[in-house]
Amino acid sequence: MTAGPVAAARAALTELVGDRADEWDRLGRIPGPVVREASRRGLLCAQVGPEYGGLGLDSGDNGELTAHAGSLCSSLRSLMTSQGMAAWTVQRFGSAEQRRAVLPRLTGGEVVGVAFSEPEAGSDLSRMGTEIRRDGDEVRVRGAKIWTTGAAYADLLAVFGTYGGGAAVVLVPTDAPGVRVERLADPMGCRAAGHADVHLDDVRLPAGRLLGGAGMPLAMLATSALTYGRLSVAWGCAGILRACLDATTRHARQRVQFGKPLAEHQLIARHLAELTVGEQVARRCCEFASACWDEGSPQTGTQTVLAKYVASREAVKGAAAAVQVLASRGARDGHPVARAYRDAKLMEIIEGSTEISQLLLAEHALSESMGAGL
Amino acid sequence: MSTLDNDLARPQGAEPAADPVERSLLGFLRTRTKSEWTADQDLFASGAVSSLFYLELLQFVEQEFQVTVEGDDITLDNFRTVHAMAALVRRLRAGASGEPGPRP
Repeated sequence: MTAGPVAAARAALTELVGDRADEWDRLGRIPGPVVREASRRGLLCAQVGPEYGGLGLDSGDNGELTAHAGSLCSSLRSLMTSQGMAAWTVQRFGSAEQRRAVLPRLTGGEVVGVAFSEPEAGSDLSRMGTEIRRDGDEVRVRGAKIWTTGAAYADLLAVFGTYGGGAAVVLVPTDAPGVRVERLADPMGCRAAGHADVHLDDVRLPAGRLLGGAGMPLAMLATSALTYGRLSVAWGCAGILRACLDATTRHARQRVQFGKPLAEHQLIARHLAELTVGEQVARRCCEFASACWDEGSPQTGTQTVLAKYVASREAVKGAAAAVQVLASRGARDGHPVARAYRDAKLMEIIEGSTEISQLLLAEHALSESMGAGL
Repeated sequence: MSTLDNDLARPQGAEPAADPVERSLLGFLRTRTKSEWTADQDLFASGAVSSLFYLELLQFVEQEFQVTVEGDDITLDNFRTVHAMAALVRRLRAGASGEPGPRP
């Protein structure tokens, strides 16, 4: 992939966001036309290929784009994560016909959310209660989802649920009878990402809405989607760190206290050093995981867990340091470092919490060293 | 390791894997799990396959044999044994449609 399409996509994002991310954060929403335009330009799922109207970026280039979005507005970046995760799920599990039917919509102005979490099923996906059932030529979906990113903007939802003895993914239009989307009033972070609860009251759809892989164990279906999501979140966190580093160095040069710029105070300089390291470490982990993805390496799943784990923790630390250095200048809702502080904390929770990531990484370490039980 | 060593190392009762796809899959499983497998052993019943490892297996099959596994081919049965995976690879290689598939 040449630099051209990535540079153009970055410029398109910069233009779409402008200086409005603060306002979107305070209002708790991005204007609908902005979201649709981002979709129409293929920015929300940039790895979808040109045959489906997409930009066809590889994971590394999409990562750079995602980091750029993360440096501007984590709410918009969250929409990229969901749309990309849904697109990847359709690519991975959809039939050729489903890909042709759905993917052009995701690069053509429509918005899609991915519905995983439920009141009783957060980290423990085995408690998922949403039921997808085949009924002749139809599928029926019944259940309730919470915290579905982007659902408040969405035309379509990729809903995960139980299916017979296993699980399935079904594509549910948000205007189908029985679907009710209830915007979450006050998320702590990514406030404009359109998080919503989704009620699915015996929704009936044509059986063609069911993606392939139906009946597979839930963890296996979910892991594929989550692998995309984790990498996207990780790159978004690298972007949060970039924005925090930029805001902090700028402030430290300009702000004078005790007769000299903050940057010349050694305790402040340490914050700058740690932010620099955090940003670089997060980025290197993301780059490596994306290289694994682009090679189709068997390591991809584990490396994306590692990248997400490292980048989200660094983002939390880095954003806290940025607020500390900017102090009264940054401690106001809407300010980039205040947003970063709230947004980064959510990144340690979604797509596999820090603790779940630790369990997965420990499991991997044991399987590598002992051979018993993968 | 020589062919002879390979034969000696194989668990009792296992047939030699004549198929190069099966040999390669068995090699991958041996490397990743550090234990020996037979071509008809049920990977899922063994409890050895976590969701991340399933993804690893899927990626390995696609990368190693240059095929794309998608849609209705993603079933547990197609990945349950080395035999089943090899049969899937043969079928996908025979029926390559040219339809752009997912990456990686």
